[in-house]
Amino acid sequence: MSRQVKDNIIKGLIYASSAFTVVILAVIIGFILIKGLPRINMDFLTNSYEDKTTYVTIGATADGHTKIQDNQCVSEALGATLSVGEEGLVVEKIEKASLLKAGVDGTGAVYEIKKGDVITKLGSCQVERELKNGTSAEEVLEESTKAIQENTGKMKVKVVRRGGGIFPMIVTTIYMVGLSLVIAGPIGILAAIYLNEYAKKGKMMTIIHFAIENLAGIPSIIYGLFGSLVFVQMMKLQYSILAGALTISIILLPTIITTTEETLKTIPKTYRESSLGLGATKLQTITKVVLPNAISGILVAVLLSIGRIVGESAALLLTAGTVSQIPSRLYGNSASGATLTIKAYMLMKEENDLTTACAIGVILLTIVIVINVSSKLVTKYFLNSKGEKA
Amino acid sequence: MNNTMAVKSETEIIQNTETKKIMKRNYKREILEKTVETIFFLCAFISVVSVIAIIGFVFYKGLRPFIGEDAYSFVKFITGTRWAPSENVYGIFYMIVASVLATFGAVLVGVPIGVLTAVFIAEIAPEWAVKILKPAVELLAGIPSVLYGAFGLGVIVPMMKAISPKVHGQSLFAVIIVLTIMILPTIVSLSESAIKAVPRSYTEASLGLGASKIQTIFKAIIPAAKSGILSAAVLGVGRAIGETMAVMMIAGNPTAGLPDSIWSMVRPLTTNIAMEMSYASGRQAEMLFATGVVLFVFIMCVNLIMTYITKKTEDSK
Repeated sequence: MSRQVKDNIIKGLIYASSAFTVVILAVIIGFILIKGLPRINMDFLTNSYEDKTTYVTIGATADGHTKIQDNQCVSEALGATLSVGEEGLVVEKIEKASLLKAGVDGTGAVYEIKKGDVITKLGSCQVERELKNGTSAEEVLEESTKAIQENTGKMKVKVVRRGGGIFPMIVTTIYMVGLSLVIAGPIGILAAIYLNEYAKKGKMMTIIHFAIENLAGIPSIIYGLFGSLVFVQMMKLQYSILAGALTISIILLPTIITTTEETLKTIPKTYRESSLGLGATKLQTITKVVLPNAISGILVAVLLSIGRIVGESAALLLTAGTVSQIPSRLYGNSASGATLTIKAYMLMKEENDLTTACAIGVILLTIVIVINVSSKLVTKYFLNSKGEKA
Repeated sequence: MNNTMAVKSETEIIQNTETKKIMKRNYKREILEKTVETIFFLCAFISVVSVIAIIGFVFYKGLRPFIGEDAYSFVKFITGTRWAPSENVYGIFYMIVASVLATFGAVLVGVPIGVLTAVFIAEIAPEWAVKILKPAVELLAGIPSVLYGAFGLGVIVPMMKAISPKVHGQSLFAVIIVLTIMILPTIVSLSESAIKAVPRSYTEASLGLGASKIQTIFKAIIPAAKSGILSAAVLGVGRAIGETMAVMMIAGNPTAGLPDSIWSMVRPLTTNIAMEMSYASGRQAEMLFATGVVLFVFIMCVNLIMTYITKKTEDSK
């Protein structure tokens, strides 16, 4: 075979490999977008995941008529327009001063009924039961109109707020990002400062570097095992965001330390020498001279960490739990919550719902892309401004 | 005379108190500096503590079922091919085989593709292509593994189903494909920096001797970047063997049986832990930790090889 033919074959292989890398990325992103985008809307982002049923007591109806119009119950008295849905009366329109907004739930707190909520029971009218028994929509409307008119105060309303959204997971993810960064950020940055500014080359430094390298190599499922044993069980935090955040903090350490350390290394030695020469202490030199110059690297480290936290699944599965709720405490009961990634996994594995999982995937992809782009911008921006100074 | 003496001694006193003040401040400062340094050191030491704690706890919990009364035979554990916690049968040999085969397959396919892509980026590609390829590789690295799982479940598994002689699409083959994609970014970016680190003079010398560009790349540059590429491959092994969530979705996770072809379902070590850990207790939980220990041993080997390679390169330099 002549040299040229051989070269061309290999060249072809090289082009094919590169094309494969790009094409496969396009296919993955395309698949997730096509599958997930149609599912995304405002309700998906703002609704809670589970349906929520509340009993609300509302006061006496004000003056005003209630009539049936275009298959809808338009009630001036209630200040709302209701239509018949599959399981109850759907609130189509609701006025600002509506009675439905001033109802009181079982605990005595005001429960605001919103547009889109479904009323399954309205005073004496058992909307849901009647609909199930096959009562026609017109009759249900008439009966509920009557119920509204007859109301002399303390009418009980059973309201179902539709779920199907991912709002709790978004909040949990934000909590997780905040909490993990608060724990791992300072530790990582201070560790990097020690390694670059204080530590002398020797055994201690080798040991610490060796440990960091090893931490980076441990798969996240092992972190999960460790976290579930130590944080969840032994420290009795239970499945909670604190247990999750502590586990993730260890995972983040190598990223934060190495990224910050790399930046510290690029700061010229003369900066430190001038500062020390002017009589500043080592600590002053670090806080006033070294850290301000390392800010870009620290920012990149934080961005990388956010990406890591958002994408983390195996470790969180074993430490933060899989409940679709907003955690109300740091640890203990009702402190567990699924992040977006965990929820996507649960949807695929337990509920066979690839569409919703991909819809979450679209959000995750957006986050990843934003992080990639902004970390580039940060580096570029700081490189430019440094260049101007010099 | 007296007057001047008095003035003199006064200034002396002032000077003395001033030096004292400075000394005092220095003393305070020193304490502050030392405390801060200690805090910095403790922060750095946390990573050492973490590694020791992780190894300690996982091994302690994972080795317990094989020690003491009512011990489970370690040989049975490591050579068994059936996992049935309800019958107190715990064999993970078929999982080890699955993990090793899946990793080996992914590296076998992923390394050539990754290295060739790196060659393209570093040596051949025009600037516009680099501008597409590099962000693409970075994005590929940033995609959460759950999404690779979704992709595997939604695209690869149905594809496997269509071409596989068996009824199910979940298979070793599907796992290998997804792992290949997942380790690509690691291999591409590390190989690329290894290739770029090769001195320009190598290329020039080779071209000057009349070699073609392709010959230069494969006969001069790649051999020079060998250790970098090797460590990229080793890191790829580490990533592939530890991958959990993506694999869990597409592996099938049977409770017994060695894989007999690339079409059979497998249950790698990682997925075994993730599948059952959330509800396991007692012996079963300990056995999952034992699975973790086996996984850990593999990872340690990978790390050791990695350290060896880096050390060797440093020595040769």
